[in-house]
Amino acid sequence: MSQDTIVFSARKIVTMNPSRPSATHVAVQNGRIVAVGSFAEIVATSGAKVDDRFKDKVLLPGFVEGHSHIMEGMMWSLPYVGAFDRRSPEGKLVQGLPDIDAIVARLQEAEAAMTDAEAPLFAWGFDPLHIGSVSLTRQDLDRVSTTRPIMVVHASFHISNVNTIVLQRAELDRTTNISGVVMGKDGEPSGEVQGIAARFRVFRVLGTNPLSGNLTADDVNRYAASSCIQGVTTITDLHNDLADLTIEVYRAASRRDDFSVRLVPAMASVSHSPEQGVEKIKTLKASNNDKLHYGIVKLVVDGSIQGFTARLRWPGYHNGAPNGLWYIAPEELPSIVAAYHNAGIQLHIHTNGDEATEVALDAVEAAQIAKPRPDHRHTLQHCQMADAAQFKRMKSLGMCVNLFSNHIYYWGDSHYELTMGPERANRLDATGTALRVGVPFAIHSDAPVTPLSPLFTAWCAVNRVSSSGRVLGKETEALTVEQALAAITINAAYTLKLDHIVGSIEAGKYADFAVLDEDPLEVAPEKLKDIAIWGTVVGGHVREAPRA
Amino acid sequence: MTAASSAKIPVTVVGGFLGAGKTTYLNHLLRTGSARYAVLVNDFGAVNIDAGLIAQHDGTTMTLTNGCVCCSIGGGFLDTLGRILDDAIPFDHIIIEASGVGDPWRIAEIALVEPSLRLNAVIVVADASRISKLLIDSHVGDTVRGQFDRCSLVLLNKVDLLNRTAADAARATVAALRPDIQIIETTEDTLPVLPDGEVKATSRFAATAVNDSVDHESAFHRWSYRRSGTFDRGQLTAALAALPPQLLRLKGQCRIAGDASPALLQMVGQDWALTPAPADMTAQNDIMLVGVGTDALPDAAALDAILDGALIQVSQTHPTTADLNRRHAAFTL
Ligand SMILES: [Zn+2]
Ligand SMILES: [Zn+2]
Repeated sequence: MSQDTIVFSARKIVTMNPSRPSATHVAVQNGRIVAVGSFAEIVATSGAKVDDRFKDKVLLPGFVEGHSHIMEGMMWSLPYVGAFDRRSPEGKLVQGLPDIDAIVARLQEAEAAMTDAEAPLFAWGFDPLHIGSVSLTRQDLDRVSTTRPIMVVHASFHISNVNTIVLQRAELDRTTNISGVVMGKDGEPSGEVQGIAARFRVFRVLGTNPLSGNLTADDVNRYAASSCIQGVTTITDLHNDLADLTIEVYRAASRRDDFSVRLVPAMASVSHSPEQGVEKIKTLKASNNDKLHYGIVKLVVDGSIQGFTARLRWPGYHNGAPNGLWYIAPEELPSIVAAYHNAGIQLHIHTNGDEATEVALDAVEAAQIAKPRPDHRHTLQHCQMADAAQFKRMKSLGMCVNLFSNHIYYWGDSHYELTMGPERANRLDATGTALRVGVPFAIHSDAPVTPLSPLFTAWCAVNRVSSSGRVLGKETEALTVEQALAAITINAAYTLKLDHIVGSIEAGKYADFAVLDEDPLEVAPEKLKDIAIWGTVVGGHVREAPRA
Repeated sequence: MTAASSAKIPVTVVGGFLGAGKTTYLNHLLRTGSARYAVLVNDFGAVNIDAGLIAQHDGTTMTLTNGCVCCSIGGGFLDTLGRILDDAIPFDHIIIEASGVGDPWRIAEIALVEPSLRLNAVIVVADASRISKLLIDSHVGDTVRGQFDRCSLVLLNKVDLLNRTAADAARATVAALRPDIQIIETTEDTLPVLPDGEVKATSRFAATAVNDSVDHESAFHRWSYRRSGTFDRGQLTAALAALPPQLLRLKGQCRIAGDASPALLQMVGQDWALTPAPADMTAQNDIMLVGVGTDALPDAAALDAILDGALIQVSQTHPTTADLNRRHAAFTL
């Protein structure tokens, strides 16, 4: 072995390579894996230099988050006020807030730290569902400030709460009941605003929209730091217009030696005509480097189940809510799918409800009939309500699926009680069905919608338990720990067509590792999410996770 | 307030399902109008907006993109519209093409809450040869029906593709959704000009047909409410919520206790907005509202009683004919 080869020794290396499932030593040269095996196989014969800093650790392939968004990096410039604990990019455990008083207190703290008296205070992550369905009123926010504009964005990103000064400046205080300005019990606006009209007006008077600001290097660095903390070495940004400025920020970040994650941005189909999109992907692919992988396109067919905007087949929403929204017309979908399919581009198609899944399957089927394409791996994203018949169609069409296992924990109870009812909620994010039918699948967080943490996502798929403790379809749909680990490593890489270079620890691939304190295959399955993550190795570069 | 309201930019939203002819209509408006338009479009349909026509108008066109995490219209659209409002020279008119599966009213609401805008019209273009089928389509029927809920004008397009019986059937299907609405039959060559100006702006509250030979007067009822005095704001909110669903529209001038100048009330369905009354309405110091409802609208006394509950002082007035004429000029109802 050459001089610049480093051999990492570990307590155990879980390779996720079925032909060599475990090892103790891995040799790395120029950022790639030269060999995996035992001391005898790797060190004894070659005399290579051994780095034993991981001798008490367990190495896994670096985790692959197949569906998350750069907005995770953008949001952490703002205070978090959600109900669940979350890890900041600085490595700090940010405590979840159980009630309105705690939220007000955190906002007061943030407000006190602000120097510009005029600047608006934005916060994110508020989720009334998980604090007993209480609302955050403008009076609550007035306790933080009556003079500084305050806007708290919900975990769903579609609803916000503002204080009285914002309503007054926006003239939304008492002069309207347009659908997006929610009234309180007193007949006056409660401070909750939703929908594009109210949001437009609020952002206009605030002079800024925290959800659409220009991407900065700081945002990308925060995204990379959060990845490192969670053991992630390959991460998607699964819906991006890919404006020139974004492309430049990604280019610059990915070329830095110390940039510690491989980025896989998906171009949002909605921002381009298919002809432009095909051209743009071609150009972007030519600029790929080892840490930047353009090539996939995202289509969004419907909305979300918990927001009642997903498109459901009969019998629809359990509570009788009207069917959801199309973001792409069903009759337009086949031509968009065909344009990218024919150009050899891989599609990631967001379908939450089963009616959306059905029209996506129809569109891919038509494209496959018109122009059969081996190994296209078009992937349904979320696909939370698919039944066995739909999984069988995915299988026959050569498709993959990326299931939203975190939903079981965060919204499993509302799916059981409100959106889907017991039967369909029990097969929510049907990883067991995918296995039985043989559809290649990954599982994901959709961060920042839910926290970025593949081990937690794996825990959800293994334990299938909601935040209230309700177990959903565990007998039929749960994964074993090993299957779940595959879904956050090699199989997630497969859905991104990157399984030839990442996703397992084997000769030839990038030296990307998640460094864990314990062996996930040995801890109790219900402890999977609690395994401490030391950091990552990306292309042979060791990154200790920040701790604060 | 007067200066600001006279500078309001009219907004027209054009909605309707894919292929109905929305973009063709926009191109027609650009070809026939002379004003400086800002046009926001979904650029990826079969027909594209003619950039040459935009240039001819010294106008601008921008493409809507959904910038949000996973759904709905997001930052991109809002930022674009913001830039249009900030343009040094105000545009004469903003025309927004809603997506083929979008709800045009959601966009129209922007013009009701943004003080520098006023809502001119919400026009739904429907393909006469497809609309009856679309309305009952299992995938998109609910979406297409929703687009008509609060529009102010329907262009029943491509009627030249149909015989008279089929065209009448298409018209009847749309009329069944919205008995109160004006339906104009069009072809690619006979698209109407943009409803414009103060007078036409209120036409969404009227069913007086310009090119419409069918008399819809019998299909709906009107209700006029005149009082001197002022409304209590909180009571008015409750009273408006208590009005029956058969009342489709309510519009006019009123006074709100504590406000120095009169307000313009505009209510469509359950949604309402109070904005400063335009200058040409501010001569009056009383309450003058006119409503349009279905033929099942309760009688005037019942409706009067609901709004009377919101008055701080009640006194019946008997306006002169001259007053009424003046009001009619202002409201064109
Ligand atoms: Zn997503
Ligand atoms: Zn999504």
